[in-house]
Amino acid sequence: MTTASRRPLARIGLYLAAIAIALYSAFPIYWMVSSSLRPTQEMLLNPTLVPTELTLQYYYSLLAQTDYPRQFLNSLIVALSTVVLTMFLSVMIAYGVTRQRIRGKKAIIAGMLYAYMFPPLLLAIPLYAMFTKVGLNDTLFSLVISHLTMTMPLGVWFLWGFFKAMPFELEEAAMVDGCTRLGAFLRVVLPLSVPGLVTVAIFAFLLSWTDYTFALVMIGSDVNKTVPLGLASMIGAFDLRWGDIMAGSTLIAMPLFIAFILLSRYFVQGLTAGAVKG
Amino acid sequence: MTRWMLPAFLAVGVIVTLVLIVGPAVYAVSLSFFDLPSLTSDPVWVGLAKYQAVLASAEFWNALWNGIVYAGLAIVLQVVLGISFALVLHQPFRGRALVRGMAFLPYLLPTVIAVLTFKWMVDGSLGIVTILMDDWGLPPIYWFETEQAAMISVILISVWLWTPFVTTTFLAGLQTVPTQLYEAARVDGAGPVRRFFHVTLPVLRPILTVIVLLRGVWMFNKFDVIWLTTGGGPLGATEHLPILSYRTAFALYDIGTGAAVATISFLFLSLAVFLYFRAFPMEDDA
Repeated sequence: MTTASRRPLARIGLYLAAIAIALYSAFPIYWMVSSSLRPTQEMLLNPTLVPTELTLQYYYSLLAQTDYPRQFLNSLIVALSTVVLTMFLSVMIAYGVTRQRIRGKKAIIAGMLYAYMFPPLLLAIPLYAMFTKVGLNDTLFSLVISHLTMTMPLGVWFLWGFFKAMPFELEEAAMVDGCTRLGAFLRVVLPLSVPGLVTVAIFAFLLSWTDYTFALVMIGSDVNKTVPLGLASMIGAFDLRWGDIMAGSTLIAMPLFIAFILLSRYFVQGLTAGAVKG
Repeated sequence: MTRWMLPAFLAVGVIVTLVLIVGPAVYAVSLSFFDLPSLTSDPVWVGLAKYQAVLASAEFWNALWNGIVYAGLAIVLQVVLGISFALVLHQPFRGRALVRGMAFLPYLLPTVIAVLTFKWMVDGSLGIVTILMDDWGLPPIYWFETEQAAMISVILISVWLWTPFVTTTFLAGLQTVPTQLYEAARVDGAGPVRRFFHVTLPVLRPILTVIVLLRGVWMFNKFDVIWLTTGGGPLGATEHLPILSYRTAFALYDIGTGAAVATISFLFLSLAVFLYFRAFPMEDDA
């Protein structure tokens, strides 16, 4: 560290490396955003690195003439339902597993961990078959349930580590003071778990919001498509409207970018806990 | 209420595990023993016939090999790039927080967007990469049309998407290495390269073991990148087991064979993970 800061040559090398990393990581994203704002004639002629003129025409046509608004709403419904269910269920399960003394409870954790290794189609095929049999195929509900197969292991595993590290004395003290176990859980444990809950919510949202595979298997009709599925079918169309596609891509990337700017600490924390499939 | 709260929570856990994980997996395996042209027709028991057919087909071995090549190369590149990035981003410099943030961004993108943006950048006539290469007098690359180029394309996209995972986890690890170890190594006359191989890597070996395991499993199972980029083509050159499984179940309407492929793929992966744990044992802190 100190050697690098003292020698000017090493210093320059360090900055060059940092610039290379920034370009590699962010240039495709910059290109996506700038393409969505560039007039068509500029896109067809030799494009400059920075657009000379900005336009929102693709956003207008995307929102006014395609199913995109509907798909965006579908994505939002599915992702938020997945987040709520994941948090609700994984808090109960993780808390039960850490606090109840019973043999074999680790099987739940082991099962969840094992699910991390399942090939997506080992879950998608039977879920699709089950939903078809009960007439729930091609519904947003079936997509939420299939997303839970990704987000529940994440939530339970992450919160399990979180509750394990939380000392029992806190709840015991509350219960000595007259709290019921439920009261101690709601008033002591949950408030202290907020950072862990935020991390779980973020990654459950991320997994559901970005999913393509389960949506491809579960959803057939246009009205129930989520954005990733809808965008992917635009590429199949024979008149490629790159401006529209890049506008749609930018819009769906934005919620995650904004969340990352506001909550980057939780993103890093969740990722480094090794709890995130993807 | 109070006495039943924890058992009730555990019961929820059992039900969720059974419904979301055990149930579907068992059902998938059982489907692989039946002939099932459509989900409304009556299943016909065929025993291990699907497995025999899968294991005897050239398609299966091609897909397995492609999956190993894809996952193997993608992991090696992710890990090498990710560690290099982490080492750079660990040094203090002006604007470090910004570059760290930028290095994380690809991880946030839906796969679909990464694939679409890549396709747009290498578009045959309007793509920025195509235009720049033409300006510099380089011959055009047919990114999806030749077998090797298609494989390189899907690997490039995957590496770009998931390098941030390695960068971030390794960077977090670097911050836990005690500085005294570096001081001691420096006093002993070790240069930066030797300090990396004799201090950093040994200390971070457990983290690296987990990173490689997780990334390996997930790359081997990754369906969407290849499906969206090449659909497995050209001529099966990028078809791996998840795509073979999807194609047989949903394009050829042979659910039983699709389930058999997914099951074999899972068994293969379990074996690989078992061998990996034998080679790189981990301490159990549970």
